[in-house]
Amino acid sequence: MKRSWYAAPYALWMLLFAVVPLLFVCWYAFTTPEGHFTLANFQEFSKPRYLGIILRSLKLALYCTALCLVIGYPTAWFLAGRGFNNAQSLVVLILLPMWMNLLLRTYAMMTLLDDNGVLNAALQAIGLGPIKVIGTEGAVLMGLVYNYLPFMVLPIYTVLKKMDYSVIEAAEDLGCNPLRVMTRVVIPLSVPGIVSGVTMVFMPAVTSFAISTLLSSGKLRLAGDLIDYIFNQSSNPNRWNIGSSFSLMMLVLILISIGFLRKVDPDSEGGGMW
Amino acid sequence: MIQDMRLIELKGVCKQFGDTEVLHDVHLYIRKCEFITLLGPSGCGKTTLLRIIGGFDMPSSGEVLFEGKDMTGIPPYKRRINTVFQKYALFSHLNVFDNIAFGLNLKTPEQLGVHSKKEMKEEIARRVNRMLKLVKMEGYEKRSVNALSGGQQQRIAIARALVNEPEVLLLDEPLGALDLKLRKEMQLELKAMQQQLGITFIYVTHDQEEALTMSDTIAVMNGGRIQQIGDPKGIYDEPKNAFVADFIGESNIIPGVMLKDDLVLFSNTEFQCVDEGFDQNAPVDVVVRPEDIMLVGEDVGMLTGVVESVIFKGVHYEMIIISGDYKWKVQSTTMQPVGTRVGMTIVPYNIHIMHRTEMDHVPYNERVNPDKGEEARP
Repeated sequence: MKRSWYAAPYALWMLLFAVVPLLFVCWYAFTTPEGHFTLANFQEFSKPRYLGIILRSLKLALYCTALCLVIGYPTAWFLAGRGFNNAQSLVVLILLPMWMNLLLRTYAMMTLLDDNGVLNAALQAIGLGPIKVIGTEGAVLMGLVYNYLPFMVLPIYTVLKKMDYSVIEAAEDLGCNPLRVMTRVVIPLSVPGIVSGVTMVFMPAVTSFAISTLLSSGKLRLAGDLIDYIFNQSSNPNRWNIGSSFSLMMLVLILISIGFLRKVDPDSEGGGMW
Repeated sequence: MIQDMRLIELKGVCKQFGDTEVLHDVHLYIRKCEFITLLGPSGCGKTTLLRIIGGFDMPSSGEVLFEGKDMTGIPPYKRRINTVFQKYALFSHLNVFDNIAFGLNLKTPEQLGVHSKKEMKEEIARRVNRMLKLVKMEGYEKRSVNALSGGQQQRIAIARALVNEPEVLLLDEPLGALDLKLRKEMQLELKAMQQQLGITFIYVTHDQEEALTMSDTIAVMNGGRIQQIGDPKGIYDEPKNAFVADFIGESNIIPGVMLKDDLVLFSNTEFQCVDEGFDQNAPVDVVVRPEDIMLVGEDVGMLTGVVESVIFKGVHYEMIIISGDYKWKVQSTTMQPVGTRVGMTIVPYNIHIMHRTEMDHVPYNERVNPDKGEEARP
């Protein structure tokens, strides 16, 4: 028996539940409910209320990525440091929440940020609150950062950990003060990790689903929620077609991101997980 | 060329990592324009000593003086010292030109003796090109350093350090990863560069031949201590103790007794020698280099023995000859077949006498076990 046959169950599974449905999505995206070819489904994007949601998704995903980078890079630098030998256990601690279901984590976040939640209780205790958190873009951003931060820390940590320490010593030797060691050597050399982290945060953030709805009490939709909303619009005869075209656009966005990642980090040095 | 000026001086330098003592009370001075090699087996502390001079490690106690000024606590980037690292440590995000220009780009125009940014760029290009010529890598400016061979990377690492015109260049086993032929070429080139530029080189290696080829001065290290400092010939001809004798070149080391001035007893035979000033009947270690033992007819030799094995080494044959209680290593251009009974003579000035070392393990010649010794006699 050829070795490739061992993958047959997986191939069958993927064929039934990924490839075939994807073909359906393509079919729906380019046709009318009557089955005629059309590009009109994609024009729905230009409707202001849809465009607004897409732009908000992009904006929040960008903020989320930037925040994750600002918080994640120093964390990864600390974890990868030579003097720190408990790195393994801390990496596990960072990974631990990732093993928990995303919805569970987001529900926990809801409780924390609620008007009567732990955060407001604490703020009240020190005389700063209560403030409205849940239902705002801020709350959504916090939820996104909380969920996707590990995806930023991990690839950067991997690159920094692999970096030959003598490169840093060489930079010092050639006249770099500690700040210049970072800007001239460490950060440029960790670009693959940064690119990997940015992609791995930005992609799921821009397509994120449920986080925003839950943390904004249903007020703020993101692209993922939008697709869900369209598919469930029972009054719209085109709902399958428009929803499919939106899904396809998201898929293209992801493919472009992966292409970009491959180009900047062709050997997956950044430990990319995609 | 060598002026008697102490550029770097180490005074009582000790270094501990946790409970392990890596360096023990090291005293050493390095003169201007000297090529000094720290030589020793792995774990002897030579790299740590180099790192302390470079500022990458701090001594646990003791002083490092640079032109008489204490350097303790001064970080590497403020020292006029540059380093060639063991694994080159090139910057893989920069091309060859930018790797070499790295140190110069950190300087101000004034430090390079020019007045504007534009002039600085030209000056840097001029200096980098001069270095590329020195290391024979012209035309490689735009190449990625990852696309270079080990030997080429090594040249770039050397150029990157030398372009900053340091007072001292530290080299940490820089040729370790190269093949033998390339290594020999680079040894000569490095030595030539050092003489041409007039820079002090501090070179770390475990390869005694490399040390003998390149150095003005060799400091042999073992167990965190300097065992002997001297010029290559002095160290080879007059090793101070059994460790040095064994580590530098090949040696027969036999325990003996100094009967009186110029007369030593070893291997149950009295030998004329040229060493004086030992106590009468003092226990000593006797060193005889394998190439200094002459094979003669069985009846005229001072010692007689049986050839146990022969290995062809290119220029000479290396034979193990069992004589009395010991196995002697002998190098000769003429081969004696295994099993032949031969005589050996040693002229007095080739016998080197050392005070008995207080070491855990003196690398004495292998003793023949009595049973085997009996068998060897027909």
